[in-house]
Amino acid sequence: MAAPMELSCWGGDWGLPSLHPESLTVMAYAKFSGAPLTVNTINNSWRTPKGDIPVLISEDIVISQPAKILNFLRKQKYNADYELSAKQGADTLAYIALLEEKLLPALLHTFWVEAENYCSVTKPWFASRIPFPLSLYLPGKMSREALNRILLTKGGPPLYSLSEVEAQIYRDAKECLNLLSKRLGTSQFFFGNTPTTLDAFVFGFLAPVYKVCFPRVQLQEHLKQLPNLCRFCDDILTCYFRLTISGHSPSGQDTADANLQKLTQLVNKESNLIEKMDDNLRKSPQHPPRKLTTLKLAAGGEESPLNRLSP
Amino acid sequence: MWNEGCVLLMGCSAPFSLKAFLQMCNLPVRVVCRANAEYMSPSGKVPFIHVGNQVVSELGPIVQFVKAKGHSLSDGLDEVQKAEMKAYMELVNNMLLTAELYLQWCDDVTVEEITHPRYGSPYPWPLNRILAYQKQWEIRRKMKAIGWAGKSLEQVLEDVDQCCQALSQRLGTQPYFFNKQPTELDALVFGHLFTILTTQLTTDELSEKVKNYGNLTAFCRRIEQQYFEGHDKDNSGTAAPRSAKRSLLR
Repeated sequence: MAAPMELSCWGGDWGLPSLHPESLTVMAYAKFSGAPLTVNTINNSWRTPKGDIPVLISEDIVISQPAKILNFLRKQKYNADYELSAKQGADTLAYIALLEEKLLPALLHTFWVEAENYCSVTKPWFASRIPFPLSLYLPGKMSREALNRILLTKGGPPLYSLSEVEAQIYRDAKECLNLLSKRLGTSQFFFGNTPTTLDAFVFGFLAPVYKVCFPRVQLQEHLKQLPNLCRFCDDILTCYFRLTISGHSPSGQDTADANLQKLTQLVNKESNLIEKMDDNLRKSPQHPPRKLTTLKLAAGGEESPLNRLSP
Repeated sequence: MWNEGCVLLMGCSAPFSLKAFLQMCNLPVRVVCRANAEYMSPSGKVPFIHVGNQVVSELGPIVQFVKAKGHSLSDGLDEVQKAEMKAYMELVNNMLLTAELYLQWCDDVTVEEITHPRYGSPYPWPLNRILAYQKQWEIRRKMKAIGWAGKSLEQVLEDVDQCCQALSQRLGTQPYFFNKQPTELDALVFGHLFTILTTQLTTDELSEKVKNYGNLTAFCRRIEQQYFEGHDKDNSGTAAPRSAKRSLLR
């Protein structure tokens, strides 16, 4: 228990501590169970002992898959499932299998196979975090592995073309999201008021879909129609990860001020651009302070277009 | 008349799941065995059913087809229960099915002694060896893609144990998974457990794992008694000898 534990995983963006579903699952579980984990964001999956990510290193022990890492943490007495009944433990396994079979293929597809998403978001993001010359090779390899996995597990007759496979996996993923939403209902977490392993897995799979801004977002749009799942992700992010745009730990007013400052800067930039393009707008009564008020009220909705404009 | 075509591969659980499901729906079915059943099936997978002039393969689509005809076992469940049923069905597919495939095709001893001879038996040499190796290569590729290639036999058996424990805990003391009425989940679980319990392999470890859970073996016996005993005489001559060999009640 006293031995320091270090987790190596891919870094995060878009308000998430990590973009990688399995890394997120482990991080969330560590937060839920109170395990003291130092998180190292790595830039090269070949540096990890077995090439898998995430990897937990504690003294001389190296553990690599999420299920095994969680088992290890439980043995070290960091157990988030302590209050679950046997049946609830069984349900956890079943729902995790559902996530892996039905949601994971579509998640992999959105990140790594969908051409527009991969070329404009995933590949540049990973390439910028991996040192040259591996940045030329690793993203491509990860993409090929994802496609391989999808085709081997879901492809095959009667689905004969990639587009048929794609249609089927997105149908399955949307059904899975609906089932999760029905199961969650109005409670805060899947088994009452304290988060457990299942919550960690669901969060790990859903948060990347929810937060990452892709050009092709059919899964995200479907998820946004299920408000209880969105609320679930947001709750975990604010309560357990406390990340904001500025990246500082919030302390009420400070956060609001920092956010407001950043918003003001972005708004000013935007209004300068518009002024350059159209003289009429300069004469209109819409000047920054009023615009800021409007933005403040609709801060949630306005963030994404502003983020797109920021460098 | 519903005809079912299947290849009675050692360790193939789907025909039993399907037969249990159809019996539970009270639909009369005749089992017919063909060596080329895999090629007759529209999706290349067995089992498949042949009704009138329609052919539907694999358990999932067959369940949908039967539902469309007005027979469904899960109508009495509420939304949360249906979600749970689907989740457990995925658990069984994810763990038990993959473990069965692993044992059949990735464990060298079993492959040499049992699987290759069985799979290639309808064909003359060298076709039997070629087809067997082709299937083995295909299955091993899939195992590698989902991360099971690196697992040892002990790890696979541990996974099976975990899955059986979950099923046993979910079943508890009830007669079926959703209390009084059997559902698709019961048929699926029966198919897999029955196969594991009655298939002869090089080791008994897999069936021992299941036998550790008394309520699961009782569950299988109950379903076998209720749905299979009285129906044996309806089966065609070719199927009867095979199904008579497999029984939990001997």
